[in-house]
Amino acid sequence: MTEAAGWYPVGLSAGIEAGTSAGTRVEGVELVVWRDSSGGIHVWEDRCPHRGMKMSFGFVRGDHIACLYHGWQYDAAGQCRLIPARPDLNVPDAIRIGTYPVEERCGIVWAALGTAGVLPEDRETLPVRSLYIERDAGAIAVDLTAQHAEALGDRLYRLAMDEQIVLVALQPVDKATTAQHIVVDAITARDAGGGRKAAFAWAQRYRMNAEAAR
Amino acid sequence: MSDLTLYNYDLDEHCYKVRLLLSILGIEAETISVDAFPGKEHLRPPLLELNPSGRLPFLKDGGLALFGAEAILAHLARNYGTQSGYLPVDGIGFAESMNWLMFSAHDLDVTSRARRQAIFDEPGDLAALRRESKMKLRIMDDHMTMREFDDVHFFAGLRPTIADIALFPAFALSRDYGLDHDEFPALRRWARRVRRLPGFINMPGIPHYH
Repeated sequence: MTEAAGWYPVGLSAGIEAGTSAGTRVEGVELVVWRDSSGGIHVWEDRCPHRGMKMSFGFVRGDHIACLYHGWQYDAAGQCRLIPARPDLNVPDAIRIGTYPVEERCGIVWAALGTAGVLPEDRETLPVRSLYIERDAGAIAVDLTAQHAEALGDRLYRLAMDEQIVLVALQPVDKATTAQHIVVDAITARDAGGGRKAAFAWAQRYRMNAEAAR
Repeated sequence: MSDLTLYNYDLDEHCYKVRLLLSILGIEAETISVDAFPGKEHLRPPLLELNPSGRLPFLKDGGLALFGAEAILAHLARNYGTQSGYLPVDGIGFAESMNWLMFSAHDLDVTSRARRQAIFDEPGDLAALRRESKMKLRIMDDHMTMREFDDVHFFAGLRPTIADIALFPAFALSRDYGLDHDEFPALRRWARRVRRLPGFINMPGIPHYH
């Protein structure tokens, strides 16, 4: 993360259930997003220091995440706490994984990957989906602006869609791929199911058009 | 009439579908190992005489001989797991499960070809196969995203069916052919539910969380 600044959306809060992990990328940098069994969310470098295995392939046990290869377990601060092959070993402090500041706002998980920026104001939302589009984030931002989306801060857009307010957070996955994390403002949502389906249909159409326009 | 013999190759995801359903439904079957790779035993006599389609899995049930995962799954669910609901009988559940069963047989064939290219070095353009596979998994992820709005967590009907069993390996094994799970959040959640079904078993490439 060099020129990068501020907060990046990395997933929907509802998309990462307690006790699960998922891999993702921001500008090509591999991250693991995981939620411990008490609901705490974590965004780390996606690499076990032991053999370089992706932590996102691993599994969550309580407030630890374990590597799939040899079961090395890390606590919520990224510190290795257990090496199953050496259960009596007091694990050295040097065995740890890099962590990023993380916040949940508007039903979206945000990680600070560069110098701190501005987080969006929190509001109650209903999750729609994370949509992966084969276009670069710059082109999509231009596109959303052309559709009268209002920029609400770092990588967050507000769209009026029929009666509803839809929020779209843009995650630059790599140079050719962007994730849209889409939620409906709960106060304006038509109803829990129908309103989300309308936003889903918008997103489907959006991706088809965006990818056809490449 | 439990006189089941499954001709099985452990690394074949279609054979895994049948092993998985047998385990979930608690059905006993004799298993005969076939050296599909590198031996291609299923494409030579005497196996080819027994099963001229050359397709695995192959199941003998008394005098009945069935080939291909889909027919075998339907047969097992219909005749050995009537109470399980894995082959729904109601109109919508039946229709939807058939729809996704056929999707697994036809559309997901590209994922099998991608995997065979990647791990058995079968001829093929892996980059193109991977890309087509991604588009198929997208269709599945879109479907499960929609289902979640109605609080339904399986592909057809309201409960797990043979459609879930048939669709599971293409996603669960996608890393074998170089496609990560990052872009399919609804499939991740669905796969977690499949993994938790009583009787669930793994195959090589589908990690066991120790």
